Amino acid sequence: MTQRSSGVREMRETLPGTLAAAEEFILEFRRRWGSSLEAPHEFETELLLREALANAVKHGSQHLPARKVQCVLRLRDRRLIIAVRDEGTGFNWRAAVRREIGSLSPTGRGTRIYREYATRVRFNDRGNAVTLVKEF
Amino acid sequence: MSTVTITREANKALVQPEGDVVAASVSELRSAMREVISCGVRELTMDLACVQMIDSCGLGVVVAAHNSLVKVGGRLSVVHASKDILALFKAMRMHQHFSVTGD
Repeated sequence: MTQRSSGVREMRETLPGTLAAAEEFILEFRRRWGSSLEAPHEFETELLLREALANAVKHGSQHLPARKVQCVLRLRDRRLIIAVRDEGTGFNWRAAVRREIGSLSPTGRGTRIYREYATRVRFNDRGNAVTLVKEF
Repeated sequence: MSTVTITREANKALVQPEGDVVAASVSELRSAMREVISCGVRELTMDLACVQMIDSCGLGVVVAAHNSLVKVGGRLSVVHASKDILALFKAMRMHQHFSVTGD
């Protein structure tokens, strides 16, 4: 669902906890919003959205469709907010953000991508919701 | 959704994914890379000319291929990466371990 009011654009959806559902939402985001973001922001924003949704599906939902993933995107002026919440038990984000993974590790790049590409990253205490702020 | 084209000659292979190399569609590429390495390929070139997006799962497949090749004395090269993808490889410091070049 997309809403637009007084210069604010918003996409808000509750998704089944599957990669297929997340991909469908991402492609809808690309189709509706992608062209309105200048390079390299289009790539970077989509990458952040992909990482947040993939983490919610894999770790929070365990790929179970019955577990829902809430996603809200809000764009105002040159500030985009990506908020993703899953129904999982959460993860120890404090340890994850401190951990330096090796550049040859096949996994563990999600939070590193947050740090590289988001202006601000915020988790809730339980670790089942992330808010990413991207300022252009 | 992505497709993968593989061109093989002796112990060299060119792998050309098409589409997004991302969590929802990376399994085919992962299988293709594993298969060519297990079949004796030692110089593997991954051509990203037709790839516009790669995420952490896609990067994981590339790193896994590199690690597998190194174990058998082989080598991975990534070519024709877009400007954004090249920047991502560099941000993740993967270009320090194997060749990554842009389009």
